[in-house]
Amino acid sequence: MSNVDLTVEICGMSGDGTIAAGGFLNAAVAKAGFSVMAFDSYPAEIRGFGRCVTRCRIGDEEMLALSDKTHVLISLDDEQSQSRLSGLAESATVIFDNKPPSMVPEGASLAAHVEAGTNLVGIPFRDLAAQAAGSTRGRNIVALGGFAALFEMPPEYFHEVITKKFQAKGASILEGNLRCFDAGYNYSKEKYADRIADTLSSENGNGNPDRILQSGNIAIGEGAIDAGVRLYFGYPITPATPIMEYLAKALPEKGGKLLQMEDEISSIGAVLGSFYAGTRAMTATSGPGFALMTELITHGVMAEIPAVIINTQRGGPATGLPTKTEQSDLQAAVWGGPGDSARIVLAAANVPECYTYTIKCFQLAEKYQTPVIVLTDFFLNNRVETMAPISISEEEKADWNIYPDKEDQNNFHRYRITESGISPRPKPGMEGYSYTATGLEHSEKGGPDYTPENHMAMNSKRHRKIEGALNDMPVPEEYFVEDNLDLGVISWGSTFGAALEAVQKARSNGIKVGALKIASIYPFHADLIRSFMEKCGNILIPELNYEGQLAGLIGHLYDKDVIKLNQTTGVPIYPVEIYQKINEIMSR
Amino acid sequence: MKTSGKVLAAQVAKIKDSDVFSIRSENLPTWCPGCGYFGIHQGINNAIQRMNIPHHKVVTVSGIGCAGRYSFFANTYGLHTVHGRTLPVSTGVKLANPELTVFAVGGDGDGLAIGGAHLPHIARRDINVNYILFDNSIYGLTKGQPSPSSPPGFTTKVSPAGSTEQPLNATLLALSYGATFVARLFAGDPEGITAALIEGIKHPGFAFFHVYTSCVTFDKQFKTWDHLKKWVHPLPENYDSSNHAQSIAHVLEDDYSMGILYRKQDS
Repeated sequence: MSNVDLTVEICGMSGDGTIAAGGFLNAAVAKAGFSVMAFDSYPAEIRGFGRCVTRCRIGDEEMLALSDKTHVLISLDDEQSQSRLSGLAESATVIFDNKPPSMVPEGASLAAHVEAGTNLVGIPFRDLAAQAAGSTRGRNIVALGGFAALFEMPPEYFHEVITKKFQAKGASILEGNLRCFDAGYNYSKEKYADRIADTLSSENGNGNPDRILQSGNIAIGEGAIDAGVRLYFGYPITPATPIMEYLAKALPEKGGKLLQMEDEISSIGAVLGSFYAGTRAMTATSGPGFALMTELITHGVMAEIPAVIINTQRGGPATGLPTKTEQSDLQAAVWGGPGDSARIVLAAANVPECYTYTIKCFQLAEKYQTPVIVLTDFFLNNRVETMAPISISEEEKADWNIYPDKEDQNNFHRYRITESGISPRPKPGMEGYSYTATGLEHSEKGGPDYTPENHMAMNSKRHRKIEGALNDMPVPEEYFVEDNLDLGVISWGSTFGAALEAVQKARSNGIKVGALKIASIYPFHADLIRSFMEKCGNILIPELNYEGQLAGLIGHLYDKDVIKLNQTTGVPIYPVEIYQKINEIMSR
Repeated sequence: MKTSGKVLAAQVAKIKDSDVFSIRSENLPTWCPGCGYFGIHQGINNAIQRMNIPHHKVVTVSGIGCAGRYSFFANTYGLHTVHGRTLPVSTGVKLANPELTVFAVGGDGDGLAIGGAHLPHIARRDINVNYILFDNSIYGLTKGQPSPSSPPGFTTKVSPAGSTEQPLNATLLALSYGATFVARLFAGDPEGITAALIEGIKHPGFAFFHVYTSCVTFDKQFKTWDHLKKWVHPLPENYDSSNHAQSIAHVLEDDYSMGILYRKQDS
């Protein structure tokens, strides 16, 4: 495994600049050439008085998941940070303000609570900030300076990101913040010279500064722009709103338009209207909004109109846990709504896939004339990770609409029954192909038709079409597959990274275990999944939902019961939790 | 209501003989003989014909209910969507291709009950869609229940003692929501519908057409032909359709004046 694997956690109260400090840390270590995966957790109430925590895992190899253990805790509020001590690794470093303001209750200092053996690093954050910039506001920057010196992180990377953030705010604010950083840096370097480790030195960074630091949200937004989307219709909902915020700026620059609609029903309605008229459009939502969309999604299925919907899953049911992560909308995405309404569902497992699948789904929607749902989740959308920039070819963005031929003109059968189930679809404005797209069962020409043989034939056409889409969809990815595996771990979405890391660790301990990542949720590659399962003595499916929703969908492909690991804690699953389950299964 | 084959044949012949024929699709209207929707159909089609709008550049977005079936009967591009959602769907169509002439068509249940949340928003966005609300104050396709525009005392199978709720006035709502073009029309006057539509289609923003019509099969009490013919009348001669406040005041006083009630001048 990697040589550098350092998890840094910053904890404070709202107003301490915790999340901002995390942003600087992520950007600086990424610039230094390290891999990063970082995730914030904060209260749902904007002005609520609550704990803010940001976790950043730093490594010299690709980071697959967050780690359960914290190696460095930077405390901006000792009372809040006490609850984080249980997550500390052995001989962890705790950086705290050793000269807190007088209002802090006695005994609240972290120093009184840490275990013996903890590397306790006291830095007077507030005093140094006040000296450097005339106010204690920059205490979070002081803390970062102290951290950088302790791990031999070259200060210029922090200088760069601080400059980028503050240069628009004027020289005095910028210089004040730079002085705060240097004050913390110099204090640590002098006072703790004997404790300095070279973990984040220039030699350890892998020197790959071309990589970008990207969140799932922005990756989806950029994917939409690069796919040529010029219309976005949405309704604010946590955690999908950042996609809308990104596109509100990006779309007008491309001559596009974003409408904040009156609800999610209108959002999907307008997306369907746009695709009907021949223009790529998109909406993004989360569970409650998705539930409202389901009737119109099935209209897209029945009337064969493309649509693209991003469902950023959060904790449910109902309003549920708006700021917590879960994978519990899989069955709703696949089956939600009236009737036999097969549609295409993809799941992104990491930030690069948020980008590539957003682009891919437009072509799938156009060719197969159906709504396409991309499942992501709170964790995936809001985490940041380092990734190599992806360049998309013209071919990957090309229009996949299939327009009717000249010979169909003036005797057009919009829903002609074909072997593939695909029938050409004109744009309004094309002469001689007028038709009515309808959510009623219809004849080949599009008029209402409820005869027994027609409904059978049309259902079959629509389902053939969706089955055929598999040819253009991502195949399951196999990891460490060989004959006679003792165990196979099948995973989807943001849980996959943790599953793969757990499998790697189990293999390094001699366990014969493989992994399978499923991105095509519906339709799915039953043959390929079955052939993986057949090589495995047991199948484990870890998911962040209570019922085992992927297991429910594909479990029947295995000749005995699949083993489920279901967690609904609202937080991402850690590799160690899957690793422990693997060990438990192997010791049965 | 019983209809003889002769009456039905005469109805169909009338449509075939009119200039409606070239835009009528091969699907014959399924509305009951005597339904007011035939008159609205004729009014819309005449407007398209007289403005020489190519049929393939027209999209008719319709909802669910008897009025929703309209998109099957016109030889334009049609989008027969789900119940209540014509306005957001037509917003998408129009923004996707502004060259299209877009009609949104639906009944009083579709537009004032299940879809009632959309009228304010398309009005305040002033999307260039022509929305024709077929208002017969009853749910016809589900065989006669009160609608949001039915009057108190309206008896049906689900309101055997008479409806107790106050009716919504769609014209007043549209004016209040800031619609920039509002007309109130009568299905018994297809020429009046055509004239208002021609103005509304030319109007660069959202245009709302509230059409009073009759359900001959399920309504023997309220919007019957006899009643409507007695009640409707033209706008006063000196009526100023450019004055928003006066339009609202007029509509509060008079439920049955027909014509273009309001047209925002600078839009």
